[in-house]
Amino acid sequence: MWRVGVDVGGTFTDLFGWEETTGERVTAKVLTTPWDRSVGVIEAVKKAARDSVEAVEQSGIPFDQISCLVHGTTTATNALIERSYPTPALVTTQGFRDTIEIGRQHRQDLYDPYQVKPKPLIRRRYRYTVPQRINVKGEEERPLDTAAAQQVAETIKAENIRSIAVCFVNSYVNADHERQMRDILLKHIPDAHIMLSGETRPLFREHGRFVTTAVSAALKPVMGAYFDHLLERLTQQGFDGSLLILKSSGGVMGVDLAKEHPEELLESGPAGGVAYAGYLADAIHEPSIICADMGGTSFDASIVEDGKGLVTREYELEFELPIILPMLDIHSVGAGGGSIGWVDSGGSLRVGPRSAGSQPGPACYGNGGAEPTITDANLLLGRLEPTLGGKINLDRQAAEQAVSRVAEQLGLSTVETADAMIQISCEIMAQAVKKVIINRGRDPRDFVLTSFGGAGPMHACFVARAMNIPKVIVPAAAGVASAFGATVMDVRQDVEQFMYAPIGEVDLDRLNSAYAELEQTARTLLARDNVSAENVLINRTAQMRYVGQTYEIETPIPEGALTRDALVSIADTFHAVHKQEHGVSSDIFDPAFVSLSVAATAPTAALPSYKSVAAENIVAMKSSRSVYFSGEWIDCPIYNGQILQPGAELQGPAILEYLDSVAVLPPGAQATVDTQGNLIIQVGR
Amino acid sequence: MQSSALEKTGDSIKNRAGLDHITFEVLRNLFEYTCDRMTAVLQRASFSPILSDMVDFSNAIYDPEMRLLSQAANVPVHLAAMKFSAHAIRDEFGIENMKDGDIYVVNDPYRGGTHINDISWIKPIFYKGTELLGFAVSRGHWMDFGGGAPGGQSWGTHIAEEGLRLPPIKAFENNEMKPEILKILLANTRTPHFIQGDLQAHVGCLKAAEEEMQSAAERYGLETIKAAMAELIAYTERIVRKKIESIPDGVYTGEDYADTDGQSDDPVKVQVTLTVKDSDITVDLTGSDPQCLGAINSPKANTHSAVFYSLQFFLEPSAPQNEGMFNPISVVLPDDCWLNPKWPAPTIGCTVLAAPKVASAVWQAIANALPERAVGSACGDCNWFVCGVREPDGKTDVFSDLPAGGWGGTPFNDGMNVTMDPLGNCMNMEAETAELMFPIAYEAFDIRQDSAGDGHHRGGVGSHLKIRFLCEGAMSVETARTREGTPGVNGGQRSSPQRLWHLRADGTQEIVGGLTEDNRWLNPLLRGHKLSYGDTFWFETTGGGGWGNPLDRPVQEVLDDTLDEYISVEKARDVYGVIVDMATRTVDEAATTALRAAMRTDDA
Repeated sequence: MWRVGVDVGGTFTDLFGWEETTGERVTAKVLTTPWDRSVGVIEAVKKAARDSVEAVEQSGIPFDQISCLVHGTTTATNALIERSYPTPALVTTQGFRDTIEIGRQHRQDLYDPYQVKPKPLIRRRYRYTVPQRINVKGEEERPLDTAAAQQVAETIKAENIRSIAVCFVNSYVNADHERQMRDILLKHIPDAHIMLSGETRPLFREHGRFVTTAVSAALKPVMGAYFDHLLERLTQQGFDGSLLILKSSGGVMGVDLAKEHPEELLESGPAGGVAYAGYLADAIHEPSIICADMGGTSFDASIVEDGKGLVTREYELEFELPIILPMLDIHSVGAGGGSIGWVDSGGSLRVGPRSAGSQPGPACYGNGGAEPTITDANLLLGRLEPTLGGKINLDRQAAEQAVSRVAEQLGLSTVETADAMIQISCEIMAQAVKKVIINRGRDPRDFVLTSFGGAGPMHACFVARAMNIPKVIVPAAAGVASAFGATVMDVRQDVEQFMYAPIGEVDLDRLNSAYAELEQTARTLLARDNVSAENVLINRTAQMRYVGQTYEIETPIPEGALTRDALVSIADTFHAVHKQEHGVSSDIFDPAFVSLSVAATAPTAALPSYKSVAAENIVAMKSSRSVYFSGEWIDCPIYNGQILQPGAELQGPAILEYLDSVAVLPPGAQATVDTQGNLIIQVGR
Repeated sequence: MQSSALEKTGDSIKNRAGLDHITFEVLRNLFEYTCDRMTAVLQRASFSPILSDMVDFSNAIYDPEMRLLSQAANVPVHLAAMKFSAHAIRDEFGIENMKDGDIYVVNDPYRGGTHINDISWIKPIFYKGTELLGFAVSRGHWMDFGGGAPGGQSWGTHIAEEGLRLPPIKAFENNEMKPEILKILLANTRTPHFIQGDLQAHVGCLKAAEEEMQSAAERYGLETIKAAMAELIAYTERIVRKKIESIPDGVYTGEDYADTDGQSDDPVKVQVTLTVKDSDITVDLTGSDPQCLGAINSPKANTHSAVFYSLQFFLEPSAPQNEGMFNPISVVLPDDCWLNPKWPAPTIGCTVLAAPKVASAVWQAIANALPERAVGSACGDCNWFVCGVREPDGKTDVFSDLPAGGWGGTPFNDGMNVTMDPLGNCMNMEAETAELMFPIAYEAFDIRQDSAGDGHHRGGVGSHLKIRFLCEGAMSVETARTREGTPGVNGGQRSSPQRLWHLRADGTQEIVGGLTEDNRWLNPLLRGHKLSYGDTFWFETTGGGGWGNPLDRPVQEVLDDTLDEYISVEKARDVYGVIVDMATRTVDEAATTALRAAMRTDDA
C-alpha cells in the first residue's frame, strides 16, 4: 500500500509517495487545474513515476493501493484573500458590531494619505448585534435578549445566509450566551452552520477571536464543498483509504475534522515544506534548520527546532486580520526569480519587491519583459544555461538589454550590475531569515539552511554567507518538498484554554484539572482520526507573561501532576525563555499564566530507507563554461545533479543542474552527496 | 567571508563615498531593521498598556555625531523631537565624555522634550569598548509622572502641575542603573507597578540596537560603516530635494484652530506660511497665537516634529528616515508663540492637540501648492484620555485609551474609517484586555453613523466609545474638533463635531464637552471629571473631511453606504440627493435624478 502526499499550489500540483513496506518512491509534478483542483490531483496520482537514471518511468499509483492520501492546499487562503465565499453573518454583543472592521484602529503605512484598509471579511449590513453581557469574571450581567435574538435569527434566515459566526464579548470565560444564541439560530434556521468564538478558540482579546471565528464561518461552505468534491472524485477512481489534510500548525487531521475547522488550513500549503525540513533534521542529524523556499515571486523562511516547526500565535492573514491559532512562523518577502532590479531616485540599486511574475516574466523569457530580473542576472553571469536543459530558449540579448538600462544609470558594466542585483537580493533574503531567527532570540550560526523551490539552490550559499550560516542542504526531493513533507507529518491537535493566574496565586488543582481536560479533548479529537490512545504524545505549554505585560511567550510545561516545586521550575523556564526572545528578564516581576495549551500528536509510520537503483559509472559532469563570481569570469564545471552518486565530492566553483532547479557552488564552497541523495554544502568564506 | 568578496568587486564597482552599491544597500536595510527590532522588543516586553497595547513609542539610531540615521517612528509626532532630546544630552555631557555602559535620560519639555510623559533613554554604542559607533534612542510615553491629575492631564497653568521633570541626566553607568534615580522615579508616579518593567523593556531594546550595530561593524569595519552612515544621509537628502523641486515655487498659506487652551473660551490659531523655492521649504509660523495660559503649548521640539511629519506625507515617505530629510526644510518660530513656549508654560496637550493642528494647517498650505494631490483633513486629534480609578477597597490605578476618528477623502478613494490621526499610529485598548486589568466595562467601540465629512469621496467615519465604571473615576480628556468638524477639500464637506457625554447610573445623561443640544459650547478639556460607580463615559469622535461634491458620488456607493448604515437614509437624501428605500433596498432612480438636478441648481 502507498502513502501519498499531494500539494496543490498556485501553479503546480506536486506529488510524492512511498510504498509502505518496500520504501519505493514516486513523484509527479503536473499543472494545477484552478477550475477544479481535483482534476490535477487525480492526474498527479496517475502520472506518479519512479525517478530513474535516464528516462522517467511512467507508472502511476493504483487508487485502490493508496492507504492514505495527505493533502495540502492553498484553497482556503485564496478564498479569503479574494473574498470569494458565500457571505456569512456575524452576531455580536451590542456595541461591538464593528470590531472586525475597526481592528486596532491603526494603519499599515505611516505616511501614505491615500492608503485604504483591507475589506472587512463580512460586510457591515450582515453584522448584527444583540443586547447581552457576560462580565470579565464570567458572570451574567445582562441576560441574552431573546426577543432581539429571535429577530436577528429571522433576519438572517430571510437573507438566506447559512453560515454564522457568533462572537460575544468575554465568551472566552463563559460561552453560555453564545450557546443560547446558537440554539435560537438553529430553531429558526435548522441547517445553519454556526461557529461560536468561545469554542473556536476560548482566548481573551476580542479582535483576534472574532476575526478567527469569522474566517471559520466564511470558509465553512467553501472548504466543505471542496473536500466533498475531492473525496467523491477520488472514490470514483477506486480510492478507499483515508484522506488527511495539512494544518497550519504543522500536523495533519482527517478530512471530516478539516471540514469542521477550516480556519486551521491557512498554511496548509507551506506546512508541508516545513515538515520536510523536520524530517531532514532527523535524517541528517541537524536539529536546527532554516527552511528557505524561493520561487518566482516570493521567498518564505521558517525555522525547525528539534525536528519541529517554530510556531507563532501572531499570524495576520492581511493587515489587522489576525488568526489566533498556533501557526507555523513563516516569514515571506518579495524576493524571487522574477524580482525586478531598479534604480531609485537617490541613485541606489534596488531589487524587488515588484516581480515580473509569469507575465511578462523575466526579459530573457522573450514575452516582452523589459525590466531586468534576478533570472536575467543569473543568465548573464553564466549561472543559468540558456535552454534550461532543452526546455526553453532564454533570450540572452533581451536580458542584456534589460540589465544594461539599469547599469547605465549606475555607471557600472552590465555584468557588475547583474552581480550586484544577485548580491542585494540575497541580502534581502538573509534579512527575511533574520526576522524569523533573531527576532525570536536565536543565533543563525546554530542553524543549517535548507533550500527549496526552483530559485532557491542558486542563491542559498550567498544567503547563508550573509547570515554566518556555515552549512547548506539541497535536499533530494527539493522539487516536491511540500508533498514529501505531507507524507511524514504527525496527526496533530492543538487545544488551548484561557486561565489567567499569577504564578504565586495559582490554584494547583485547577491547573492540573485544566491540563487534564485539555488532554482529554485532544485525545478525543485524535480518536476521530483513528489514533489509538497509546500512540498519543502530549506536549504541554503555557502562554505566559510577567504580571502587567500584554504579550505572552510560549513556555514549556512539564508532564504529570504539577506541584509547588514544578511551579518554581516553570517560573525559571519562563525567565529563560523571556530572556531568549526579548534579551531581558528579571525575577523581581511575577510571571503569570495566561492560557494553557496542549499539542497532541500521533507519530506517523516511518519512511523506510530505500536504495535507489542508479547505474554505476555514469559521468555526472556534463561540460564547463565561464561563470562570473566576485568580479571575475571563472571556468566552471557543470554537473548533472540528477545523477550525482552518494559520496560524490565537489569543489566550488561548480554548477549543478537538476530537473527543476540549479544549484550554484561559489568558489570556496565544498559539497558532498549523502547516502540519501541530499547535497550537503560547506559554504566556506 | 562576504566582505572579502566585496573587496574584490569594490575595485570594479564605481565607488561612492568609498562604498559600493551592495554594501550601501545592505547597511541601509540593516539600519532600518535595527529600529524595527527595537520596536519588537519594546512592544512585547513593556508593562504599561500605553506602550504594549497602544504602541505610543519610537526608537532611533544616530551616527557618532548624533545625526539621525534611522528611525522607527511608530508615532510621527516623535519624528524630529527625538533628535532634540538626544542633543540635549549631548549639550549637557559632551559626546567625548560618554562611556560604554552609560545610559542617559531626559523628559524635560524645556530641554529637548515635548510633554513630560514622553521620556527618552539614550545609549552611546561603542565598538570594542572604545570606538564610538553611534547612539540608540528609545522614547516612550510613560503613563504617569505625578502632577495635578492622572497622566499629567491637569490642564493647569504651570509645567510643575504636569509631573516630574527630568533634566538631562546619566541614569546608568557600566550598564547598572543608579539606584537613587530609580527611587525618584518610583516615588513620583501613580503607577509605580509599570516603572521597572517598562525600564527593562527600554533597556532591552537599546541592547538589541547595540548588538546589531556592533555586529555590522564586525562584518564591514568601522570606516565602511561610517561612510555608509554619511552616504545614507546624503542619499535621503538627494531624494527629498528632488521631490521638493517638483513642487511649484511659491508662497502658500494654511490655518487651523485648537478649540480652546482650557483657560479661555477662545480658539487658538495656527498660521502657516509655506515657501517653496527650488529644493528648499521654509515653514513660517508667524501669525500664530501667542503663548497660552493653558496647557496646549507646543515646545520647539514638538512643533518641529509636527512640521516634518506633516510634510513627510507629501514628500518621500519611503526614503530612509534620517537627518537628510530635515536638511532641506527650515522652520521659523516667532518668539511669543504657543508653538514656541517658554518656561513655565504647561505643555501636556502639545503632542495630541497642538501638533495635529499644525499638521492640518500645513496640509492646507500643501493643498494650495499641489491641488491635484490634496486630501480632506484627518480627524485632527487622538482623543487621548487618562482616568484615575479607585476601587471600593482603596486600590488605585490609571487607565487610558484614545478612540480614533476618520481620515479625509482623497482624489482616489474614501478616507479610512476609525483610524488614529496622522500624528501617531497608536492602537486602541481591546475591551477584554482593559476589563481584565481595570475595574471598567466596555459598552461599545463601534462606528458612528453620519460622522464623516460628505463628498464624492467621503471622509472615513468616526466612532462611539462607551466605558462603564465599576469604581470611582476621575477623567481627564484632551480633545478638539468640538466646535466644528474636520474640513474637507474641493467641495467636500466638514465632518460632525466631537462630543463627550456622561451617562449616569440612574439613567440621566448630559453632554460634558462640545456643543450641547441647545448649541452651547462646553470646554471639553476635562480635568478629573468625577464618574461614580455604574456611570458611563461616552465619546463621539469625528470623521475625516470629504473630498469633492457629494452630488458627484455614484448612486450605487450611496446606496451601499446606506445599507451598511455608514450614513442614514436622511443623509443620503439631504446631502447626496439619493432616495433609498430600505425595505426594498433599492434607489428610486427617477426621484434621485430629479432631486440631484434640483440640488445642483440650488448650489449654482
